Amino acid sequence: MRVRMRGATAIAVALLLAAAGCGGGGSDNGSTSSSSSGGGQEGGSISVLMGTAPDYLDPQLGYTTQSAEPDWITYTPLVTYRHAGGTAGGELIPGLAEALPEVSRDGLTYRLRLRRGLTFSDGRPVKASDFAYTIMRAIRVNWGGKSFFTSYIDGAAAYDSGRADSISGIQTDDATGDITIRLTQPYGAFPNVIAFPSAGLVPRGTAMRNLSNDPPPGVGPYMYTQASANRGFTLQRNPRFARFGIPDIPTGHLDTIRVTIVSNTQSEAQRVLNNEADVFDAGDTLPPSLLPQIESQARDRFSREPIPSTYYFFLNVTKPPFNNAKARQAVNMAIDREAMVRLASGFLEPTCWFLPEGIVGHPGNDATCPYGLDRPDLAGAKRLVQESGTAGAAITVWGEERSPRREYVDYYTDLLNKLGYKAQERIIADEVYFPTIGNAKTDPQTGFADWIQDFPNPSDFYLLMDARAIQPTNNQNFSKVNDPHIQAELKRLNPVPATKLDSVGDQWSALDQYTARRAYVAVYGTETMPKFFSDRLDFDAAVFHPTYLNDWTSLQLK
Amino acid sequence: MATVDSTVRAEAPVRGRGADTSAGLGPYRLGLRRLRRNKAALAFGALFLLIVVLCLCAPLYAEHVAHTSPNANHVTETVVVGGVRKDVVSPTGQPIGPTWQGRFLLGADQNGRDIAVRLLYGGRNSLEVGFLATLLTMVLATIVGIVAGYTRGFVDGVLARVLDLIWAFPVVLLGIALGTALALGGISIGPLHLEGNSLLVPAFIIGIVYIPYVAKPIRGQVLGLREQEFVDAARVGGAGPLRIMLSEILPNVASTIIVFVPLMIANAILLEAALSYLGAGVQPPNPSWGTMISDGIRLIPSAMHLTFVPGLMLVLAVLGINVFGDGVRDALDPRAKVRLEEHAEEASR
Amino acid sequence: MTRFVVRRFISMVLVLFAISVLTFLIFQVIPNGDPAQRMAGRLSTPETVAAIRRTWGFDDPIWQQYLTTMKKIFTGEVISYTQQVNVLDQIWQDLPATLSLAIGAGIIWLFLGVVFGVLSALHAGHFTDRALTVAALVGVSTPVFLLGAVALYFLAFKVQLFPNGGYVPLSQDPIQWLYHMILPWLVLSVLFIGIYSRVLRSNMLDTMNEDFVRTARAKGISERRVLVRHVLRNSLIPIVSLWSLDFAAVIGGGAILTESVFNLQGVGQYAAESIRQLDVPPVMVVVMLGAFAVVILSAITDVIFALLDPRIRLAGS
Repeated sequence: MRVRMRGATAIAVALLLAAAGCGGGGSDNGSTSSSSSGGGQEGGSISVLMGTAPDYLDPQLGYTTQSAEPDWITYTPLVTYRHAGGTAGGELIPGLAEALPEVSRDGLTYRLRLRRGLTFSDGRPVKASDFAYTIMRAIRVNWGGKSFFTSYIDGAAAYDSGRADSISGIQTDDATGDITIRLTQPYGAFPNVIAFPSAGLVPRGTAMRNLSNDPPPGVGPYMYTQASANRGFTLQRNPRFARFGIPDIPTGHLDTIRVTIVSNTQSEAQRVLNNEADVFDAGDTLPPSLLPQIESQARDRFSREPIPSTYYFFLNVTKPPFNNAKARQAVNMAIDREAMVRLASGFLEPTCWFLPEGIVGHPGNDATCPYGLDRPDLAGAKRLVQESGTAGAAITVWGEERSPRREYVDYYTDLLNKLGYKAQERIIADEVYFPTIGNAKTDPQTGFADWIQDFPNPSDFYLLMDARAIQPTNNQNFSKVNDPHIQAELKRLNPVPATKLDSVGDQWSALDQYTARRAYVAVYGTETMPKFFSDRLDFDAAVFHPTYLNDWTSLQLK
Repeated sequence: MATVDSTVRAEAPVRGRGADTSAGLGPYRLGLRRLRRNKAALAFGALFLLIVVLCLCAPLYAEHVAHTSPNANHVTETVVVGGVRKDVVSPTGQPIGPTWQGRFLLGADQNGRDIAVRLLYGGRNSLEVGFLATLLTMVLATIVGIVAGYTRGFVDGVLARVLDLIWAFPVVLLGIALGTALALGGISIGPLHLEGNSLLVPAFIIGIVYIPYVAKPIRGQVLGLREQEFVDAARVGGAGPLRIMLSEILPNVASTIIVFVPLMIANAILLEAALSYLGAGVQPPNPSWGTMISDGIRLIPSAMHLTFVPGLMLVLAVLGINVFGDGVRDALDPRAKVRLEEHAEEASR
Repeated sequence: MTRFVVRRFISMVLVLFAISVLTFLIFQVIPNGDPAQRMAGRLSTPETVAAIRRTWGFDDPIWQQYLTTMKKIFTGEVISYTQQVNVLDQIWQDLPATLSLAIGAGIIWLFLGVVFGVLSALHAGHFTDRALTVAALVGVSTPVFLLGAVALYFLAFKVQLFPNGGYVPLSQDPIQWLYHMILPWLVLSVLFIGIYSRVLRSNMLDTMNEDFVRTARAKGISERRVLVRHVLRNSLIPIVSLWSLDFAAVIGGGAILTESVFNLQGVGQYAAESIRQLDVPPVMVVVMLGAFAVVILSAITDVIFALLDPRIRLAGS
């Protein structure tokens, strides 16, 4: 999922209303707070504040965490993820389908059957053909990730370019509920693809244009009752959903969730701190100046939760100085990950592995980082640079503007200079950053990069190490890695279906350790997100999902 | 932005070189005397000079007092303050405040860099941009103003419209647009090539942007001057237009030019700060007062020194030169018939 | 006279045209500013990017793209690259904040600027004058974003007198609207008050020495009447023309810094963000709107002055 955190970034003139009356001052939400014994009460309503508006509320268009959070629980796809935190949250479970897909031996055919008796939130019955329509809609409205469909589903590309009226690779039978999907090539992560919220079913005939201000009906524990793309929206519990009895998808505790877009993360955080609002959206950045206060006053309702993400500096292996392995190793040896954590105001967990924690294949505690993890060796690295003969090379370091990414690059540039290079920064606007560094004309030597999972599958991350992914524009393999061993392993491991990932976990781990030894990149951290609530909510019972952040179906008033 | 075009206001005749002045003292000597009597202007001028000197001493300070350089990070280091060992940057990213010691005298920023060192180097950058921009503005504006005012006709028409064009374009937006464009790719005009993070880039932008502010009044003044008898006399005497512009017109607008210089320096420094605040001025990691203020705003509630220190320095420097500039204007032109474009300052709203 | 007006009008149109071309070209020249790439996202395929280029016409020659964009602007169909929303709608949404800021601040700075200017002129050379001059100079020397940040720190943090930025629409809650606008008004006004008071002071001092004033005094008219009737009225003319131009400039996105610091989500802030994101359509619209406002007011002012002062008409020909 691309976490595009726009919004109140460069601006926040951070000021607080003093937390004079903190603790008390709960706001009036119109719900009766009769406390129940044991695990909290059912019902009630809460307010969620988001500092960045969802890119689209329309399920087939949304592609940021802010849109995924509501869409996940309002538009259930055929398969979805377990509503749990950590690695468990990466496990696929059946959604609107009766069971996980049957994959043919050659990996090209997927069979599913729709559950019986399902209806949309407006009462219309759900039919198998609705799935085909949903995928067509996602393509037609130009969902940002539609290449996942067009690249793999047979006939989807033809539909996209207008050469066909429907997708030949999707066959559905409304009478039996059978759905058969044919792929153009085996793709192990395909079950993850049909678990995207954009594959969340909508009724056939739903208009093929941006419906963010009037979202279509869906099947899920909650439904939209009001939506205004830039100002906010309201979710209400979907009464029909509980009747379907879909196992493992919770029906939710709260009656109403009111989401408001605020433009200032400082006041957003302040309001939650003062218990004037209930949830600080996890996709927002907590203003660092407020942290001391939050950590002292709200310790029992604040935590930092990791999400599967990798923050690293890419090292272009096709040109000096980083075509020299010793130079790359030196960088990995010298990086002070603790410094990076501080620059991130504590919202980073140090790591050296490309596959982050929570993804199958993450090497974990048994493996040792080849160039050290928490004891940077600047002297040793300098020696290595001298040995490599690359000392004195001119380096341009690329970076994004917003904090703390710019600070990361400030630190990194200074580090390269300390190592004996002549490094200079080039900071450019966030919007144009990736297209710029992914352009062969720029051909950058090194710079900031990050990858946040599209779905919990190691092949999603290894896209960035795949030589086949190198392209002249919009390249994502910034280090331009072209390693035969990696290619061979990917060829073997990519087609393994996502439902069988655990069986190849060790092999992914071995590959990741190999990649780390080759030092193609300098990984420093995994991002953590703030889980920050008011004191009305049961903090510990609330699930923080690795892909969808706060699981609103698990939220409950105390 | 806007102000009253000088052509619209009534102009009092300015003494031509051929005119008679009080015996013995030319207008400049007279002005100097008046300036010397203006204690406030001198005091503030000295303040500005002091700041300039301090900033020039940046390398000395950095090496001998702070033992670091402006871009050196010290994120995970510690420093001993009052016998206690403290983190330069806390584990949650809060930088240390002023230690009032050699190292981190005025505190550190979020990358653990020494604020006092950056303040002085940043001052160098801000002042350098300010001076270069002013130089560019004054030279070009004088040329354009005189040529436009003297030649009139088609050339004047074109130049006046170009000035209008730059004038009507919101200054800060123009600055951001150019700054962004140039930061990405630098400037390439023929043989001249500037890298994106050269200081000449913001200087160039600010210099261009302010040309109309100076050129329009000069043009206005020249329009009046060319009707004067001494110009006719020179023409009759056989002097070509270029000669007249240089030897008759230019000396007469000289006092206007001199009066503008401190004003433009002040405005250039302010605009540089504004552009840096919006990310289009001096490029990271190089400090300037504007970038330091902008970086510090994020952390104001918990680390106000990041913003206040460069902010105070900026205000003092600009105030110094503004008051001095006022004094210069009063000294040279006490009747102040030529309206000055103080509204150039509006650009940094 | 008519020739003058017509000529000004033509030159106004030319200037606007030139501004639009200039803005457009700046973005064409920026390297790696390819909007199709950005719109397609990180995981796009070359086909997607090509499709976007086709839909938006990015493969057309520059002059054609310019014409298409201008056409879209004039028909109100212009869409931004980043959010893909209608730019005019977005500006319409942001306009109330900018207007609130401009009108409120405009009234305050005009009023206070005049008051302080008059006071300064009346007490020229004495304490009041000096104090006001110092205040004006400090106001003029302080960047607005710094002043805003400092104001917020002291008045919204240390002492919670004011809210921490943000804009509340007037239609939603008039009291909150006022409450949120007071600090931005004052901060934006400080600079202008400083300028206007000094200009007015100079004008008044000069005018007070003019012949017609001395004549009025000689005729026995009371000093007060002299001041108001003759001196002030005369000195105010340039102030008013100044004000209209500054006001237009603020509306046209000129108060970017104030809007940013207080996070008012106004037109200026929108323009600044669009520029940094290399989003051409909103920038063009805002710049043209602003330039239009300034140029039109400038032209009207010139026409009025020409009507009032025959010397100008002749000198300008």
